[in-house]
Amino acid sequence: MGKALVVVALRQVDPFATVDPLTGTVYAQPRGGLSTADECALEHALRMAESLDARCLACTVGPQEADEVLRTALAAGATEALRVAGEPASEGHTARLLTEAIRARYADPALLLCGDYSMDRGTGATPALLAARFGASQALGLVELTSHNGGLRAERRLDCGRRERLAIELPAVCSVEPSTVRLRRASLPGLLAAREAEIPVASPAESFVDTRIRRRARTAYRPRTRAIAAPAGAAPGQRVRALTGALTEHEPPRLVFPANAAAAASELLDYLEQRGYLP
Amino acid sequence: MTSPMSSPVRVAEGERGVASFDAVIVGAGPAGSAAAIELARAGRRVALLERGSFPGAKNVYGGVVYGRVLDELIPNWWTEAPIQRWVTRRQTMLLTPGQALTVDFRTENWGKPPYNGATTHRADFDAWLAGKAEEAGAKLLTSTLVTALRTDPGGRIVGVRTDRPDGDLDAGVVIAADGVNSFLAKQAGLYAEDQLANSTLGVKETLALPRETIEERFGVRGTDGVDIEMIGATKGIPGGGFLYTNLDSLSIGVVVDLTELGKAKVRPEELIAELKRHPSIAPLVRGGEIVEYAAHLIPEGGYHSMPTLTGNGLLIAGDAAAMCLAAGIWLEGVNFAIGSGMYAGRAAAAALAAGDTSTRGLAGYRERLASSFVLADHHKLRGAPGLLMSERVQRKYPAMLCDLVEGVFQVTNPQPKPGFRKLLLRSAKRHGVRLRDLARDAISGIRSYG
Repeated sequence: MGKALVVVALRQVDPFATVDPLTGTVYAQPRGGLSTADECALEHALRMAESLDARCLACTVGPQEADEVLRTALAAGATEALRVAGEPASEGHTARLLTEAIRARYADPALLLCGDYSMDRGTGATPALLAARFGASQALGLVELTSHNGGLRAERRLDCGRRERLAIELPAVCSVEPSTVRLRRASLPGLLAAREAEIPVASPAESFVDTRIRRRARTAYRPRTRAIAAPAGAAPGQRVRALTGALTEHEPPRLVFPANAAAAASELLDYLEQRGYLP
Repeated sequence: MTSPMSSPVRVAEGERGVASFDAVIVGAGPAGSAAAIELARAGRRVALLERGSFPGAKNVYGGVVYGRVLDELIPNWWTEAPIQRWVTRRQTMLLTPGQALTVDFRTENWGKPPYNGATTHRADFDAWLAGKAEEAGAKLLTSTLVTALRTDPGGRIVGVRTDRPDGDLDAGVVIAADGVNSFLAKQAGLYAEDQLANSTLGVKETLALPRETIEERFGVRGTDGVDIEMIGATKGIPGGGFLYTNLDSLSIGVVVDLTELGKAKVRPEELIAELKRHPSIAPLVRGGEIVEYAAHLIPEGGYHSMPTLTGNGLLIAGDAAAMCLAAGIWLEGVNFAIGSGMYAGRAAAAALAAGDTSTRGLAGYRERLASSFVLADHHKLRGAPGLLMSERVQRKYPAMLCDLVEGVFQVTNPQPKPGFRKLLLRSAKRHGVRLRDLARDAISGIRSYG
């Protein structure tokens, strides 16, 4: 039986990108890299691979430029790398591409690690979707991770400075916060070898369109326009008061204590509907 | 990160690094990349080591790149280099707190091929030039600090030690292009005196402004740009100021004598703030948003402050060799770095081909520099840095000349117009300038620049 597999899923991001505040246009710089959370995930993956005596596979989804993050992982000590060619349309798509590519070349991983969410508007959903696809247990937003008796021990933050300790069974998908560990410094032989390494590329068999998600063109967020009638009143002061709502009676804030999540959701929906935010 | 060591690492007979290269070049700035291009094109195995996360990540400069020297390395470089603006307008200003005397020159010739000078962002320019070295076959290793030279028992330099685990590299020749205050040149004992005594401090702000605003204020269009150099803008501390245009930002800053800055107990950002408030500068920079602040040492000592350029298995190039030319009307650094790097690369390739990278085998480097603009210009202008940083040029002449010109244009009716001689004597006396000192400095200037 071969060695177990620890996978770290990385994403090339652009920490130097600037965004035009008026148009929302993103001006990307050519020098992308790993986010701090991904660097922590890579370090955890290398430690876990050492502790579980496993292989460490670094993988990413993206164009050829994304090879750089895999070379960083190889230089730091990852034993293998895999790039899935493609431009994912959603987190679900990313999870599907990664799962299919890993399963086509390797067995299901004992442990898959990710950063908690990517810097470029990431939602943090990919790790959970990967866990669902692999049928693995999931533990997200961790600050500490160690191996323990063939499983894992982890910690994550809770509100009010409290921490939650988790015992996680393998196989598992874990995402980590950008904290507590720092990516090790790559050795010079590792760096030289990573420069020359051939990065295997997996090409998805077919294009995937998730029909459950409707995507619109990405634009800067602008609140919906609301038609407001011209303020009534003969004097300018009256019109200003009518326009601003100053000095008029308002419904006072109402404290609600819904019994459960469904009741809370209903309360919120009612509130939004009353104020015209829902069709 | 590991600090550089103070002395080379002596390696035992037969002790090897983790990899061997014909040449290891330390620093992927203009000098290092130019050397790497030459050596890689000569078919040599070259490692180009850069301590920043990418070439240009840590580099600062205060002006203009004069790219003519690139003609030899990259034909038609101007079609692909990441240029911001081509300098078509050059101004030299003498400033006092309330006056400004400006010499303004512009030419359309510098706005078309083959061009003259250009403004650029070093993060882009250095990355582009290092990319050319990689294309030629050099191996670029970033985020890697060279901490020491490695020498054999006979004292010959045989490689470098880096701050990475298992970080020793063997090399037939090492080219130190590690910038001002070069630790490697000092480790090799090639600097006779303290490098800092010949260094100035450059500080600058990059101010974002809309492109149209810049073009309107500076009277340029398209990719034409302006370079303004100033004397008298540093609160009496020997040095100068600069302001130049990028595509949608301005770079403004000062360069000041390090020792005098310390004595004056003035923070460098206060000097920039005062420069930005000057009545002749304020309208140009108004509304600019600071997007970057940078500071760096500059080796402005010139010819007399250069180290020994060649060691046993070692060459020094660029700012590490104090190649920056600060001669008042000529303020050039990047082109001298590229030139010295290029000749270092050629000399190293010739020495490797001859199988002799000892001090004698590498002597061709200095010969190449001497027969080129690099050392020829430095030798010719060797007296300029001392003259320019002198007290009279820095503290007295700007005010004297501004007063003289103010007197020339001041209408004194009903008094008759004073003659030039009278005005000169009056302003010289007011600022404590003796005419024999003025004459002596004029002769020194003619000797330096003539």
